[in-house]
Amino acid sequence: MSENNHTSTHAHDTHIVSYREHASTFLGLILLTIMTVTVSVFGADLYTLTVLTALTIASAKAIVVALYFMHLKYDPKIFKFMLTIVVVLFAVFVVLAMVDYALRS
Amino acid sequence: METTFVLPNSGHRRDDVATKMGMWLFLFTELLLFGGLFLVYMIYRYMYHDDFLAASLDLNVLIGTINTVVLLASSMTVAMSITAMQKGDIRLSKRLIWITVVAAGIFMVNKYFEWTAKFDHGLFPGMEQYGQLANGERLFYFLYFFMTGLHALHVIVGMIFLLFVIRFIQKNKVRQDKYMLLENAGLYWHLVDLIWIYLFPLFYLIH
Repeated sequence: MSENNHTSTHAHDTHIVSYREHASTFLGLILLTIMTVTVSVFGADLYTLTVLTALTIASAKAIVVALYFMHLKYDPKIFKFMLTIVVVLFAVFVVLAMVDYALRS
Repeated sequence: METTFVLPNSGHRRDDVATKMGMWLFLFTELLLFGGLFLVYMIYRYMYHDDFLAASLDLNVLIGTINTVVLLASSMTVAMSITAMQKGDIRLSKRLIWITVVAAGIFMVNKYFEWTAKFDHGLFPGMEQYGQLANGERLFYFLYFFMTGLHALHVIVGMIFLLFVIRFIQKNKVRQDKYMLLENAGLYWHLVDLIWIYLFPLFYLIH
């Protein structure tokens, strides 16, 4: 979004995210919320598809919140890197638990 | 012989990046705390998906959606209050934090009505109606109360955190060139929002 609003300020060279950017982020999140509610209310017969779409939309929202509201996009790369490690760690837990339960007789 | 030792960040009495990193490390523990609960949810939903579906239909999608919008809006206002602080508009920054706190209050009021409706139907673990439910439905309600309850606790903590920040701004301890406390309060508030982003579809929108 608005590249001209990216002003670097005093001592620490911090990036200031504009009000407009935050407002557009909010609008995007609302749109995704409308999508997920609509899919749930009108797509009742698509059982597995809705679980997957719901999680995909939720993850899209989570990424938007982390990148824009939590400033990850403009922070030093180490923050993104650390968060990725935690997310991968959790994904490993999920996969291991799924394999465990799927293979039980 | 004299040796001088120069600190890497000499000249500053604080380290903003490290301050933020400390907050993120704490947020990681929070993510894994809720992550463990989501894992429990996932396995029981896999084992009892029909019961989970039946129980979830009794949740109020409208209140859930309203609360989602309220939390997203409050996330925006707290993010904007950091922008205002960075631009030196202290009054606007404080106002935006107040709006965030009020939004958190609205969220809790909605939660109150939602929960009391469930109590009236005797669906809280240990109540009469709860005991007569199928196994999977009981697990659903147990997880529902535990996870949204733990989340609501975080909303209350976030509110208190933000109120402290307002106090610190008034004392000029949080200001344009020193606002990491506000930034970290914002991060905490966004985490509360992040968790709700997953709780909402997994509990209210099952089909």
